[in-house]
Amino acid sequence: MEISQSLLNVENLSVSYGNFEAVKNISFSVLPGEIFGLLGPNGAGKTSTLSAIEGLVRFSSGTIIVDGYDVIKNPLHARAAMGVQLQSTTFQPELNVVQILQLFSGIYGVPLDKNGLNRILKEIQLEDAVHRRFAQLSGGQQQRLSLVISTIHHPRLVMLDEPTTGLDPQSRRQLWERIEAIRKSGHAVLLTTHSMEEAEAICDRIAIVDHGKIITIDEPQALIEKHRNDPEVIAVSRRGKITLEDVFIALTGREVRA
Amino acid sequence: MSVSIPKTNTALMALLKADFAVLRANRRSAILALLVPVVILISWKPLIPKLGGAYALSAAITFGLMAIGLMGYSITVARDRDKGIFQRLRVAPVPTWAIMVSRLAIQLFMIMLLTILIFIIGKSYDGVTLTLAGYVITFFVAFLGGAVYLSLGQLIVGLIKNPETVNATTRIVYFIFIMVGMFGELGTLGEQVKKYIHYSPYGAVKMMLATSMIPQTWSSATSVAVLISIGYVLLFAGVGIKLFKWNTK
Repeated sequence: MEISQSLLNVENLSVSYGNFEAVKNISFSVLPGEIFGLLGPNGAGKTSTLSAIEGLVRFSSGTIIVDGYDVIKNPLHARAAMGVQLQSTTFQPELNVVQILQLFSGIYGVPLDKNGLNRILKEIQLEDAVHRRFAQLSGGQQQRLSLVISTIHHPRLVMLDEPTTGLDPQSRRQLWERIEAIRKSGHAVLLTTHSMEEAEAICDRIAIVDHGKIITIDEPQALIEKHRNDPEVIAVSRRGKITLEDVFIALTGREVRA
Repeated sequence: MSVSIPKTNTALMALLKADFAVLRANRRSAILALLVPVVILISWKPLIPKLGGAYALSAAITFGLMAIGLMGYSITVARDRDKGIFQRLRVAPVPTWAIMVSRLAIQLFMIMLLTILIFIIGKSYDGVTLTLAGYVITFFVAFLGGAVYLSLGQLIVGLIKNPETVNATTRIVYFIFIMVGMFGELGTLGEQVKKYIHYSPYGAVKMMLATSMIPQTWSSATSVAVLISIGYVLLFAGVGIKLFKWNTK
């Protein structure tokens, strides 16, 4: 992997909360035009990794470079280079759709005139909901608004933490198309997900994380091929067909995490 | 490819606009915060010849400052922190101080509104008129008084994460300050309590305000009250900011 080419380079990252080490010395890169998935059971360290990249948690060791900017040395440049959708995105409940868009366009320094506003509203199909508050929107509408806000400044790297959780199949498909459109424009996407179907459908590469460590990184199909004949994978497979979920469960174990 | 950081003043203006929109949407609770001191001032009209105009006005402003700092500021900060609103703002390329400056600017606006309102009610209903110097000095001293209660609010959200507990705590503190402060100051709770009240956040702020209304009565005790108030601000804000966590997890 060419580090100089990558939009995100994470090297030997460790994140601790007191005595608990949530992320243990992990390294990976995300290239332009790539959708990179972080997969792992609950508590595996996915959100901690994202939070460290976003500057929300202090990491104990390692380096994180976003589009050439060190997140510690140049935090504002690094944040300007990335767009973020948090796991539970919410906005001030008193603000309506237009006010939220105006707030974030101002924060990211993006001029937003009436035409620009209307274009965005049309793009996310919220023309009829301009005066609705965030809490009054449906799950799909909330996700569309969150995604457009995270990309309002056209960042080269977009980070999405479980973006399709709780969405109906139509909304999920629509979101996938939007994520793929970001890739087509040459930008990169780093997403976390619990959905193996999602990882298989849209990710170019995935990293399976467990107990704070990366177990493996590869293309979804390559991972399936690589582990197709593992006895653990065969043991957990259903109906004779090996899926990414079988590989995932075989690698991370069957026990339910908190 | 080089990335440009948005100008801080552009981001600050956007934050201010949004925070004012929130204030406008929550105008009922803002009006209620202003209503308490107004009602007190109106109901005290018969007592003003005995208590003095400066006493009544300074008490009303102090009660209003408490409501703004303790309940207006800390409850919204606790709620927004719990909902992850601050985290969403923090991942943007905006300095974190700008987020809090915007929040504080709203509270300063409320303090300004409160002070002017009390001046108007005091003059029009209670017939209490100050000199120009009295109005100007009181206006600025109200901001220092407001800072005492805002920093106390900051201390509470620094110490307590749960928004419901913050809500309950600020209401209890508000109630204690009003009841103990008012009755204690009048000597109802004994001489010892009366002495301590003078140095409490309630007593120090009220004394500053009362003296500011009649500047010629400024004494060394008032200067001590100013210093004590600054001390409270530094202590409460220092500890409150140090302990403050941006999320509740």
